[in-house]
Amino acid sequence: MKKKVAARGLRNKANPNLRDKASSTGKVKIRTLPTGVRGFDDILGGGLPELSFNIIAGAPGSGKTTLAHQIIFANATAQKPVLYFTVLGEPALKMLRYQQQYSFFDPAKLGNAVRFINLSDLVLEKDLGAVLEAIIKEVQASKPGMVVVDSFRTVVRKAMSVSGGEVELQGFVQRLALFLSSWQATTFLIGEYTEGELRDNPVFTVCDGLFWLTQNTERNSVVRKLQILKLRGQESVPGLHTIRITGDGLVTFSRTQGLTPYKDRPLKRRRLSTGVPELDQMMGGGVLEGDSMLVAGPSGTGKSALATHFLAEGLRHGEPGIAAIFEERPKGYAARADSFGLDLDTPQRKGMLEMIYLRPLDLSVDEAMQEILDAVKRTGAKRLVIDSLVGFEMALAPGFRTDFRESLYRMIAALTGVGVTILTTVEIEDSFTSFEFSHYTISFLTDDIVRLRYVEIDGQLRKVIVVVKMRGGNHSKDIREYVITDKGVVLIGPRQTDYVRLTSGLPERIGQSPPEPAPEPKARPRRIDV
Amino acid sequence: MPDSANQKLNGFARQLLAAEAASRNPADAKDSEAFRACEKLRGPLGILIGVGGYRSLLSRALALAGEDAPMLRALHIRADGSLEGLETDLDPREAAAAEVVLMAQITGLLVTFIGSALTLQLLRDIWPKIPDPNFGAGETP
Repeated sequence: MKKKVAARGLRNKANPNLRDKASSTGKVKIRTLPTGVRGFDDILGGGLPELSFNIIAGAPGSGKTTLAHQIIFANATAQKPVLYFTVLGEPALKMLRYQQQYSFFDPAKLGNAVRFINLSDLVLEKDLGAVLEAIIKEVQASKPGMVVVDSFRTVVRKAMSVSGGEVELQGFVQRLALFLSSWQATTFLIGEYTEGELRDNPVFTVCDGLFWLTQNTERNSVVRKLQILKLRGQESVPGLHTIRITGDGLVTFSRTQGLTPYKDRPLKRRRLSTGVPELDQMMGGGVLEGDSMLVAGPSGTGKSALATHFLAEGLRHGEPGIAAIFEERPKGYAARADSFGLDLDTPQRKGMLEMIYLRPLDLSVDEAMQEILDAVKRTGAKRLVIDSLVGFEMALAPGFRTDFRESLYRMIAALTGVGVTILTTVEIEDSFTSFEFSHYTISFLTDDIVRLRYVEIDGQLRKVIVVVKMRGGNHSKDIREYVITDKGVVLIGPRQTDYVRLTSGLPERIGQSPPEPAPEPKARPRRIDV
Repeated sequence: MPDSANQKLNGFARQLLAAEAASRNPADAKDSEAFRACEKLRGPLGILIGVGGYRSLLSRALALAGEDAPMLRALHIRADGSLEGLETDLDPREAAAAEVVLMAQITGLLVTFIGSALTLQLLRDIWPKIPDPNFGAGETP
């Protein structure tokens, strides 16, 4: 398995990382420290390398100070305190005022485990040598495990304001890094930088780790991202990772989240009932466990009804389920199921079913995926319904919509990888000239495709269902008519086959057999007496 | 500031000054309790928010306190944040009342900015035995 994962070029906990290798070969072992930031340890490749000299850089408001605070509160102890030097940045009183709003902020650590030291006056009145001297004095007195300088950018500005400042700055950073590493402190310099300043910057050359935070506005939404531009001694996850600032501080979502190793699907897989026996028959006995099934059709064709059957059938067999719904509220969803005689309320109360209603308009797929993965872990879910992809896409910030397919691929791979069988619905408009499966060209993501559509027959707009694709085996090629009754989706017995162009929605009757009665009563013509 | 909050702050300031009086060194006897308390605050607050930050905080507290105790208007803050200028021949009762007002304003500002829990923690680092003023969680007195 390890080999397989390495071959995919992915990092994972099982992958023998540098420190494990190092310990077995007598090389130095780089210990890692927890960041206290959800998902960030994994992005870093296991945590923060101890004794590293790091820079947290980014634009104002991107979460630099909050990230630093999370890290220090996760690591500070009275024995190994954190020294937090504030330098002409956010005033410490304001910093404390705002940072204490986060759940990670532990007031009990303040003063003994976390010590704030203001160097603003020194920076204003003296030179970098005096600043370094003050830091050295405090570090020697406290022997901290971690040191933060916030904002380091102001130190840089001060240095650059005099002639020969660049050389002085380089010397200062070099001596600071050397001193703090020698005194065994993991260090963070926080600064506001723009991307253009990355090149030829002496500060960035010296540092071991460079964490870059960005904040971009996409139409009406704000998208925050994190990138590990540099990390010595450790295999971090490359690329841009979504972050969100919540009441718990920063939460990070690795862009390779879900692509962690998983067990290969067993060769012999069970067939699961969809809850609609006739559809099971059409699918050769049901959907294969761990498959991703797409139900595509226009509005009102019963996609959600079919999804509800699928969930309820699993629950009936003791399989926990999750419904990630984007277009309807959970109460309405459960009420509709109830109208089909399917009880979704009791399983919810018993913890067998979770309905995840995600509708903020600046959601990232990674966040949604995290929510769903968490729910899968919590409930041990075997079946998942995503209803619908259109609603899902609408809930995403515009900036994330461009990555929708890629993200969806990761999500489906992650979930089916852990053995969850997924039913995804997608709304498509019926075209009377073509037979689309979805707008997203995502059929490559799905193992099975079931298409629902309207057809005009005998003065009625009727519904037909067809299994278009089943990766795991043969399936019926029939186009079957169905109705939605108080029992939900009901496939009616095979009908006459003397129609052509059913898939166009405007079929033509070519057979001679007598007309069959309509599956649902037609309106009777009123008799008009003349 | 509501009267009840003022009363609470004044009561707490009295306790703080009493704690300072109890810890007085004979060498410092010539200074008032409020002067000494401000001196003791200057150290840790200077480290936390810088001398400039401490001077700003103290100047705001003095401005607010001066409205209730005009004699405080005679006080000046030196560049290092220490206080100077309180005359020694003032009515002791009036001076004591002014000191209470000043300490109440300093405490009130700290509570406004960083909340009662952190303020109390900070003050208890200097006067460990001062009782909990019970301002309420995060409220602005």
